[in-house]
Amino acid sequence: MHMADALLAPAVAATMYAASAVTVGASVKTLRKDETTAKLPTMAVTSALVFAGQMINYTIPGTGSSGHLCGGMMLSALLGPQAGFLSMVVILTIQALFFADGGLLALGANCWNMAFYGCFVGYYLLWRPLIRSKLFSSLGEKAAGRIRIILASVLGCVITLQLGAFSVVLETSLSGVTELPFRAFVGIMQPIHLAIGLVEGLITSAVLLFIYETRPELLMDVNKADTQLSGKLSLKTTLAILAVTAVIVGGGLSLFASANPDGLEWSMFGNAESGYSENMGLDEESFGISSGAADTAAAIQERTAFLPDYGFADSDMAAGTSVSGLVGSAIVAGAAAAICMAGGFFRKKKVAAKA
Amino acid sequence: MDKLSHAQSELREMDALAAECSPIHALHPLCKLLVTVFYIAVTVSFPKYNFSGLVMMVLYPVIAFQVSGIPVGLCFYKLRLVLPLVCAVGLANPFLDHTPLLQLGTITVTGGVVSMVTLMLKGVFSLMASFLLIATTSIDAICAALRKLHVPGILTTLLLLTYRYIGVMLEEVTVMTEAYSLRAPGQKGIHISAWGSFLGQLLMRSMDRAEELYSSMVLRGFNGNFFYADISPFCLNDLLYTAVCAAAFLCARIFDIPGLLGSFFVG
Amino acid sequence: MIEFQNVSFSYDGTAPVVENLSFSISKGESVGLIGANGAGKSTIMKLLLGLLSGQGQIWVAGLEMNKQNLPKIRQTVGFVLQDSDNQMFMPTVYEDMIFGPRNYGLTKEQAEQRVDDVLNRLGLTELKHRYNHKISGGEKRMAAIATILAMEPEVILMDEPSTALDPVNRRTVINTINTLPQTKLIASHDLDMILDTCGRVILLSHGKIVADGSAESILRDRVLLEANRMELPFCLQGRHK
Repeated sequence: MHMADALLAPAVAATMYAASAVTVGASVKTLRKDETTAKLPTMAVTSALVFAGQMINYTIPGTGSSGHLCGGMMLSALLGPQAGFLSMVVILTIQALFFADGGLLALGANCWNMAFYGCFVGYYLLWRPLIRSKLFSSLGEKAAGRIRIILASVLGCVITLQLGAFSVVLETSLSGVTELPFRAFVGIMQPIHLAIGLVEGLITSAVLLFIYETRPELLMDVNKADTQLSGKLSLKTTLAILAVTAVIVGGGLSLFASANPDGLEWSMFGNAESGYSENMGLDEESFGISSGAADTAAAIQERTAFLPDYGFADSDMAAGTSVSGLVGSAIVAGAAAAICMAGGFFRKKKVAAKA
Repeated sequence: MDKLSHAQSELREMDALAAECSPIHALHPLCKLLVTVFYIAVTVSFPKYNFSGLVMMVLYPVIAFQVSGIPVGLCFYKLRLVLPLVCAVGLANPFLDHTPLLQLGTITVTGGVVSMVTLMLKGVFSLMASFLLIATTSIDAICAALRKLHVPGILTTLLLLTYRYIGVMLEEVTVMTEAYSLRAPGQKGIHISAWGSFLGQLLMRSMDRAEELYSSMVLRGFNGNFFYADISPFCLNDLLYTAVCAAAFLCARIFDIPGLLGSFFVG
Repeated sequence: MIEFQNVSFSYDGTAPVVENLSFSISKGESVGLIGANGAGKSTIMKLLLGLLSGQGQIWVAGLEMNKQNLPKIRQTVGFVLQDSDNQMFMPTVYEDMIFGPRNYGLTKEQAEQRVDDVLNRLGLTELKHRYNHKISGGEKRMAAIATILAMEPEVILMDEPSTALDPVNRRTVINTINTLPQTKLIASHDLDMILDTCGRVILLSHGKIVADGSAESILRDRVLLEANRMELPFCLQGRHK
């Protein structure tokens, strides 16, 4: 989702530059000097690898198309949020300079949209709380660790990509270069990035799981659940995070399900989208992931939904659909809460039994 | 995996271009960086209907490409990454903005069409300018310029180190994808069963590499300092170039030169 | 110049990688370190550089290996890594070569002087301002050696200096090694190269010294070599019809 120079007004670009620059400054300051010098080679080699790894095609089963890695979430899981952010900034700079992916003026916006959310939001909101939590520990330490990693990676990628896509819309609209109504623009961008985020999340979790099995000490926060920060994350916080996540995912999914928002001349976007998705990191030759995923998502909803047509009768707009999405999210959140409660209940029982 | 070899050859190409000699190559990197950023900022600041004013901006890249001897064709290949998003956004404008701006015979040109075209031009122009920068300036010169702008040393060093290892990593990824595809004929990408192990293996090898790299630094007395070759100082030419370019861009932005020219002829 | 006294090392909780090693190398000697994979060659090098620390005493150039002496020792010992890409991390050869000298307190002019001297001596002056990511494998290996020489070490350690080189480049590296007056310790599986560059050979097996003597005697001892997962250097195999 690289922003292009042309889509930004200078004032917006400057603001985003300032925001990213402040984050860079804060990151540099947070990383103690000795720590950075020791980490520098690792940061450089991993960012170079992520850069190269972004070009690997991952076949998405059942679709014939392929997904790609973006890397923010993975880098912060490996290096920590500050070092991960700096590494992403470097990757984005090299892409802007040498591959014209993004632009010089848009670099600040790109760092914010992709690196800031992926590294800081992804890490502090999802990775660290989830990995350090005791969620699922009733399943045994190893299995629980695996599930936490999958959950953190998938949710992390989905949410941070949603935030990133939203920022792209916001920045473009504020720059005044498009006639697209804000809501319609959002309605297109979020679903596409939901699919992309899911795939990226799965790839990220696969890689991190592999590391977890082979060299867990390379991952941030793993095995720290029982030490310094245990209990810092209460059940309540975890539930809140899960609920927020579910609402975002659910809202996005249902927007997604309403594949053809009427009322506007959207049909052309079918074509424009495909070119765009390529830019997003989807395979050039075989675009089709979002439609494939859309179908699947729609099919799943069709089978399981109890709100007919996922929308109110008098509304054809995507936003109308997302009300049902929110209801669905609430149910998912409820289910998640129930599962957590059950887990907590069993855990307590276990502790009691041991004592 | 065509993308990998493409990336490798693109990097080689840019390196080769930056190593050539021309008056533009000889300019101070800081002056080129500032002029480029200023050019892009001015270009994108044109109002959406100001088509004629924007056209004026084509002159800088065209002249600079000629002076530096960089083939223009190469940069259009790179447009494939930027243009889709710009098009996706721009293509909606003609459908949504029906303000008639101009009557050409029986054809009415609407505001949407104009804003779409200016948007695309902005995309092309900014790309040409940044391509020109990197095609005439090596990455270490750019980093030197960034250091002059007080960008934290960690960031510029990381940039150089990463750039140094991108070639090595692209090579490793290429070798592994080749080895994979030789044993998995007919597969277009990496099968889901190998999603984790493929990059995971590479990642762990990279961690070992990073460790070796770090010992190589430590063994040579590393304590956080990097020493770079000097770049030539900012001289009169650089100052002149920056001033002339900046003045020209501002003129083009303030006065609608093509419009004035047109009205001179049309009357 | 180098002395190991009863040195042992193990990664925590596992079987020792090197066990009760004692040997000494005198000034100007050129010693080949050979042994099967996992025999402990790299570990010895890392111990000597203070990258690992084990039990026992290690002396380098009259200095005992400990925290205080470590910077001095590292200034005395130059290490040529197996993968030159890991050694050459700066953008250009020149910047890589001044990295060590500048860090050890030389001024820009002094460092520059050293770089020119070394490059002249090795006949590599045209490499000076080339980019590390653009030079060939052979050039990279020579540049890595130059990088170490620019630090003017008294001891040079080399890890597989001849691997992945074509015959001509390999010969160039061998000839260069032979012109270096420093004390050298070379770990390699390339026994022909060891025979060409080293007067003395230490044969390791499972972290212990199996044989220590002149290169001529050890590298001709087919039975000894084969018992330790090695074979005669190709030039001594005498494959006649």
